[in-house]
Parts: sequence; C-alpha cells; structure tokens
Amino acid sequence: MPKYEYHRPKTLDDALELVAAREGARCIAGGTELLVRFRKGTAEPPPALVSLRSVEELRRIDVSETIRIGAAVTVAEVAAHEEIRALLPALANAARSLGCVQIRNTATIGGNLANASPCADTAPPLLVYDASLVLRSRAATREVPFSEFTRGPGSTCLASDEILTEIKIKRPGSGLRSEYSRKGRVKMDLAIASLATAFRIEDQILSGVRVAAGAVGEVPLRLLRTEEILEGESLCAGLIGQAADQAAMEVRPISDIRSSAGYRRSLVRVFLSRHLRSCLAGAEREG
Amino acid sequence: MKVDLEFELNGHTVEASVDPWARLIDLIRGPLGLTGTKEGCGEGECGACTVIVDGRTVNSCLYPALEVTGKRVTTIEGLQSADGGLSPVQKAFVEGGGIQCGFCTPGMILSATALLERNPDPDDEEIREALVGNLCRCTGYVQIFEAIKTAAASMRQAGRETA
Repeated sequence: MPKYEYHRPKTLDDALELVAAREGARCIAGGTELLVRFRKGTAEPPPALVSLRSVEELRRIDVSETIRIGAAVTVAEVAAHEEIRALLPALANAARSLGCVQIRNTATIGGNLANASPCADTAPPLLVYDASLVLRSRAATREVPFSEFTRGPGSTCLASDEILTEIKIKRPGSGLRSEYSRKGRVKMDLAIASLATAFRIEDQILSGVRVAAGAVGEVPLRLLRTEEILEGESLCAGLIGQAADQAAMEVRPISDIRSSAGYRRSLVRVFLSRHLRSCLAGAEREG
Repeated sequence: MKVDLEFELNGHTVEASVDPWARLIDLIRGPLGLTGTKEGCGEGECGACTVIVDGRTVNSCLYPALEVTGKRVTTIEGLQSADGGLSPVQKAFVEGGGIQCGFCTPGMILSATALLERNPDPDDEEIREALVGNLCRCTGYVQIFEAIKTAAASMRQAGRETA
C-alpha cells in the first residue's frame, strides 16, 4: 500500500505554500490517474500529496467575455454546465465521453490536462477553442496557450512548484460550429482516435477553421495543413474528401495494444468527413 | 499518524480515524465493517466498489477516505424502501434475475439508484450509458438493464399512486 501525507488546503495560497515548502510534494485533484499509478507501482508516490479538491477558487466556472473554468472543476460538472454546453459544445461532449459516470464525478479537467495523456479527451476541444491556461506559483502567475502546455506523453511545461489553476477561453461569437468525436474499444476505454473541429460557415464558405486530433500523436495535434485546405473554401464533397485525406496523413498515430495506426488514421478521416458533411447544403437540419 | 474525520454514512453521523493514504473502500470495509461494497479491480475500472457521495456515484477504491469529511455517503447497506424492506431497484434485480454471483450487484444497484434519482424515465441508451462503469462477468447485462427499467416503471407508478 503506497503511503504518503495527505494535505487538504482550503485556499489556493495555502496550496501554493505547501507545494513550495514541502520537499517533493505533489498536487492531486480527482486522483483517478495518480492513485492508480501509485497502486500499480508505475509511479512513485511522493512523500506528500496536496489535494486541490477543497480549494474553492479552483472549482468555479465563470462565463462572460472570457469563459474561465477552474482546474478542479470535475469532468461531470463541465459536461453538465448549461452555458458550456451551449457555447463550447465540443468541450462539453468531450467531457461527457470521458470514462464513465463514476470517473467523471471525481476526475477534474485540470487533471485531464496536467496528466498529459495523448488521448486526453478535453485536449482537442481546448486546442480548437484556442484556450490558454493559468499557471501559478507562490512567486508568480503566468498564462500559457494550451497549445504550448503539453510537451510529450505525461509531460507538460508545469514547473514543480506550479499549480494549474484555470482554463481560459475567449467566448466564441455566435455562429461558431464545433464538435467532438471519439472512439474507444468500448465506451469506458481511452480514445483510440478523437477529433475536434471548429469553424464558421456562411453561404457554404468556411472560415476560422480549427481541427485538432487526439490519441494519434505524442501530444494532441492541431492539424494546420488540414485547416489550410479548408480555410476560405467553399464546402463540397470534393473538398471534404481532400481535407479528410490530408487529416489522415497529417496525424502521427502508433500501433499499440488498443489499435493499429492504420485504423486510427481511418477514424480521423471518418470523423472529419462527418463533421463537415453535416454542414453541406441540403444536409442542414433546422432547429 | 492517523487523522480523525466525521461524515454521514447511510443517514448516521460516523467518526473514524484513518491513515492519510487510506481509501474510502478501506474505511468502509474495514473499521466500519460494511462489506457490501466490493473491490473488484482497485483501479476504477470495474465499478464493483461504487458508492454514492453527496448524490453522485464514485469508485471508492480511488476515493481518499479523508475526502469524505463532512459529506453524505450511501453504501449498498443504506438502501431500503419506506417499510424497511428492499428498495425498488433491489427488488427488481432479485425478481428479474439480474443477479448471478452477486459481486457486481451492489455497484450496479447503486449506479441504477443514482440514475433513477436524476432521470426517472431513462431509455435503453441512457441506462447503458449510466452503467458503462459497472462490469459484470456473469449475466451478459440484459437482465440487469431490464431490472432497471422495471424498477423505474414501478417507482413512477408508486409516485403516481401517492401523488
């Protein structure tokens, strides 16, 4: 049985103090990743855990010109939040697809990002929404574009004395369409491929196109070349085919115990096709 | 060095003293002696350890015991009907053949109970979705889902009768 101190600070300042002062202290929120690793022995438990679950400042959602989601908000809370569902549907759907009810009630959005699994469900939507993250230490506060946060599998730019405190997204203007698709071997399983898209479409012309894929590279990927193919173009079956082919080529999946690289590329192609086809003239559904 | 905590368990205030690294499942099955909650995997994959905390299901094998301070916890032992017998969900599982070895059953019943509290009339997809985190190796799930539909219908009916 892994053993450690377990601290439950009530304020962010107390949490930052603990992280700075206690040698080797590590933050934990939902613990659905870390506690499993400590138990399995794939990660060494630190001498002290600093739980962020009781820090109220990290549990708020604020929706105004900027949407601010506290890092310790649970995945279930993100999935259920009315305004997030309306304004950031790709993020709400990603949250709803993560794990299962029990996991979603405990896991946090900050934990999903800080854990930096290539399959993290909330990551591709945050890329297409151009999210930024607020990182705080006792001494300083900095804001980092989410695209620069994840460095590799399990690795982020968080310093050892920093806490991820909130996710910031500029409130999308009206008319932004965004969507998230994912597939695992079963619903509870990690994604073997996932795709988030965001774009505007008027008179069939696409603009503000963002495409991001998860579980198909070392980090969640913005597909810049795919975006270039779509940006400013008129949506038609030919364009969809071209963009889907490019997306399948642009991702960098591996074959592993869950899926083959080839199947993962196929999923990316299918997801992008679906997201775009639903906007083709004649495919629109009112209401 | 143990830490004291106090919380509400199945409607009663309970005090306990735990190691900082203790899991909720350890507290429930150990000092509190409630062995209805099962440890199937210890990794949050199977849901056999499901309990309800402040109205929401969680895997007690991944829930630090200290985090339950000041919260309301319901284990399988805490379910019963108004007359002290089995709850409608429990009854439906028994009568509908939704139990074989019984190991997944407490978790299944708690997940179903939490679902019906939020959604008294779930469709098949909603029932499956709510139970994604509860694995059964025996039944093939069909009779479990049907028991939940039966329980939902009888609870709605009872609601109409007392209205």
